[in-house]
Amino acid sequence: MKLSRRQLVSGSLALGAASLLPSARAEVGERKFLFFFAGGGWDTTAVFDPHYGSEDVDMEEDSELGEVGNLDFTGGPNRQRVSRFFRKWAGKTAIVNGMDCHSVGHDSAANFVMTGTSASSYSDWPTLIAASSRNDYPMPHVVFSGPAFPGTRGETVVRAGGGRLISLLNGAIVGQSDAPAPLVSSPADRIADAYAYRRVARFAEARMEGLGGARALSLQDNLERAMELEGRRFEAGLDDLGTDMRAQALQAIELFRLGLSRTAMVGISGGWDTHANNVRQGMQFEDFFAVLDEVMERLSTTPGTYKPWMSDEVTIVALSEFGRTPLLNGGNGKDHWPFSSALVVGAGVAGNRRVGATDEGLVGIPVDFATGLADDNGDMLGCENLGVTLLRMASLDPGQFLPGVAELDALKASV
Amino acid sequence: MRALTLLLMLGCGDEPTPSRSVVERLPAREQLIRLSVDTRGVHPDASELAVIESNPDNYEGFVDRYLQDPRFLGRMREVFNQRYLTRTGDTYFSPSEAGIRGDSTEVAASLADEPLMLVSHIIENDLPWTELVTADYTMANPTVAAMWNIEYPDNVVGWQQGRYRDGRPHAGILSMTTLWMRYPSMGGNANRHRANAVSRLLLCDDYLTRPIVLNRAAVDQLTVDPEDAINSNATCQSCHSTLDPLSAHFFGFFHVDDEEGLRLATTYLPENEQDWMNYSGREPGYFGKPTNGLQELGQLIAEDPRFAQCAVRTMVEGITQRQLTSEDWPVLQEYVQVFEDNGLTVRPVVKAILMSELYRAGRITDEALAMRVPTVRTVSPTQLASIIEEITQYRWTFSGVDGMSAPAFGLGVLAGGIDGKFVTVPSFEPGVGTTFVQERLAQSAAWEVTTHDLDPGRTEGAILLAYVTVEDRPETSRAAFDQQIRYLYERVTGLPLGKGAPEVDEMMALWTEIYALEGSVEKSWATVLSVILRDPHILFY
Repeated sequence: MKLSRRQLVSGSLALGAASLLPSARAEVGERKFLFFFAGGGWDTTAVFDPHYGSEDVDMEEDSELGEVGNLDFTGGPNRQRVSRFFRKWAGKTAIVNGMDCHSVGHDSAANFVMTGTSASSYSDWPTLIAASSRNDYPMPHVVFSGPAFPGTRGETVVRAGGGRLISLLNGAIVGQSDAPAPLVSSPADRIADAYAYRRVARFAEARMEGLGGARALSLQDNLERAMELEGRRFEAGLDDLGTDMRAQALQAIELFRLGLSRTAMVGISGGWDTHANNVRQGMQFEDFFAVLDEVMERLSTTPGTYKPWMSDEVTIVALSEFGRTPLLNGGNGKDHWPFSSALVVGAGVAGNRRVGATDEGLVGIPVDFATGLADDNGDMLGCENLGVTLLRMASLDPGQFLPGVAELDALKASV
Repeated sequence: MRALTLLLMLGCGDEPTPSRSVVERLPAREQLIRLSVDTRGVHPDASELAVIESNPDNYEGFVDRYLQDPRFLGRMREVFNQRYLTRTGDTYFSPSEAGIRGDSTEVAASLADEPLMLVSHIIENDLPWTELVTADYTMANPTVAAMWNIEYPDNVVGWQQGRYRDGRPHAGILSMTTLWMRYPSMGGNANRHRANAVSRLLLCDDYLTRPIVLNRAAVDQLTVDPEDAINSNATCQSCHSTLDPLSAHFFGFFHVDDEEGLRLATTYLPENEQDWMNYSGREPGYFGKPTNGLQELGQLIAEDPRFAQCAVRTMVEGITQRQLTSEDWPVLQEYVQVFEDNGLTVRPVVKAILMSELYRAGRITDEALAMRVPTVRTVSPTQLASIIEEITQYRWTFSGVDGMSAPAFGLGVLAGGIDGKFVTVPSFEPGVGTTFVQERLAQSAAWEVTTHDLDPGRTEGAILLAYVTVEDRPETSRAAFDQQIRYLYERVTGLPLGKGAPEVDEMMALWTEIYALEGSVEKSWATVLSVILRDPHILFY
């Protein structure tokens, strides 16, 4: 049975203000998920789904087919970081192609891709995973940037606002302002927190009803979470990284390492909605894969909490709301296209595998969900199939959330 | 609490209320605090609180007074930004291209406010809301004027009316470069993104929320010829039959080459106005009615009942912190009626909202209604910053950038705000980020106040610590501590502590504990003050 945060906090407050707050509890081993999202719609042919030789697909000039193991991708001199990533991590990487996102509108497609439905009341995959954890994470799902569809589980989601989170948590931010204040010592901080908490608890107790009561209770609950987080020892220098995609990803890993979060979302930098000048996609993929490489390096050299390395505990999922049309338009751009790709890397993933496919016109074709191979007798692959597979990889029962949606068994490692 | 049973008041008087609801008003002080935070972004001062406490009927007078406060205009800009989402932190181009040196944050803030300053100009001058889409001018400060090539009068400062130098037709917000930079469109999108922006921002009708199902045939058709598919497929036409004629108005702003520099890319191109022929082939029109250009479009939008409804909905949702549902339709219509009865001027409808019983509610005994209408309001990041600044004279800045209002800085989103791009809906349930932001801001402000006020060499008056000196200790100066702590609570929260309130002894105990730990009077008072600044009555109102 997991103890509620309030039980823990009220227990320690009862011991007196100075004894105070709970230290981190022993964490039950469970997989964590780092999501990346390219907002705007990525061109799947720029990396994941090359179609050289097709008259119906415009491939980037100067690119060429790259192959590592069972994975093929768009390579060449302008994809050196992409190629390097696959050379190093192909064994842990699966590419999903021909995935129907069911929409070509940015918002509605993002809703589909992240929740498997068009309904705003459904929580997205990372929120569901975080909310259904066996551990009581202080910040279950941290959204550094990128989309968030909390649905009815808003309490699970922490919007981190770029990369400021760590310096807020460790208090360093008070020394970074134009009128710097001294860092408050940890014991003093804890004492002050206890007094602040009492006042909040009294406030919430007096307002238990309706939406107003929910807000007051949310403050109390999240102050408890904050008290758990304070004073945690983050890796030195983490708050000096800046606020870019790389910083956000590395901070997410640190939150995982410390058992503070189970899932995180990081927006992939760049303008992906390339109705003109589509060649930018390649450069942006290069930047992303450089970060992805560093993330994998970090995970592979950081001891895990229940497995030898964090790379055995963390699954990385990269998505976009949809793909882009196969042919260039008059402005050398590509427009919205309902078929997209996904990249899934790390723990629990059947690596070195390509799952799903598109025809010569970049339209998704039926797939055998057990093998991942194109099969005329198979089923069309939709974003919801990927989603429920991720839920299963997180040890959840997908049927509780999206009953009847088939899992993509080919994506799962057989362990 | 004063219990008011409101029976069948629909249509009676000027207070739109739901029928048969039971509402208990907030105590008078708290009503005034709510009113002041919503209209001015700060707490009322002590004299104002005394006035309302002496006679709660003074509330309406305060409503009238606060609606004339310049800070009300800033609050309304914040409310309308929640719909327009122009405050993103983007400059779109390097400011150096316009000869602007220095910090880009100020440039981004100025550009974002071009449409929002038209909103506040309309409100300030009691102009009809239709001015938003019919104004024969835009709004600019020197930064916006330099970036967007707008005429700006000599020998003046600040925001002024101006006209674009490129000769574009002026139709209020529809002609603004800021809007079309924020809602760009390229290639085959052919201004559809912009058309939907117009629909969503001005009519509260988002095409993208409409359910559609594309079958395989439609997908194949899209592959071969997207425009043909859009024009012939019934599913596509369910949106595009009205969307595309709307899109056709904006080809003067449509630039094919997105590698152009600032001046080229932001110049209106009259020679492109007919380029809709090369894309959708649909002539400019507004929901079935042909139009002759941008200004006629503005007129038709102004005449559309949805335009006024959308403005009122934005105000109600922004001020009352809730999403209206179909159950709120009668109430919304009453406010719309107030809007129309007053020539579509904003202040009367905002007054009606602020005078309503639901706005002043401290408790709602109807369970269903209580789940729709929050009796606890949550400050936005900018409200939190301005409340703290008004109390402590402290503003949280980083290299000159306001940490709480600059979208790109991130603190606003952590505290439940929006960044206009990724986070477009504010969060009113305080998250763990909010608690940290409030804590660190409180610590920073408290340290500034304490070091200022306890400085023995200080020549100006104290900001907050006027009752104690650096020599005082609880055991020797209990009365001074008592007085100081009571003053702090009342000054910070607007609510005096009761005679036997435990907070006085608690704060003395906190002071003593910190002093024993740190051996510093300054740190002890800074900690006490920071805890009081973290009071829930700061975050909630």
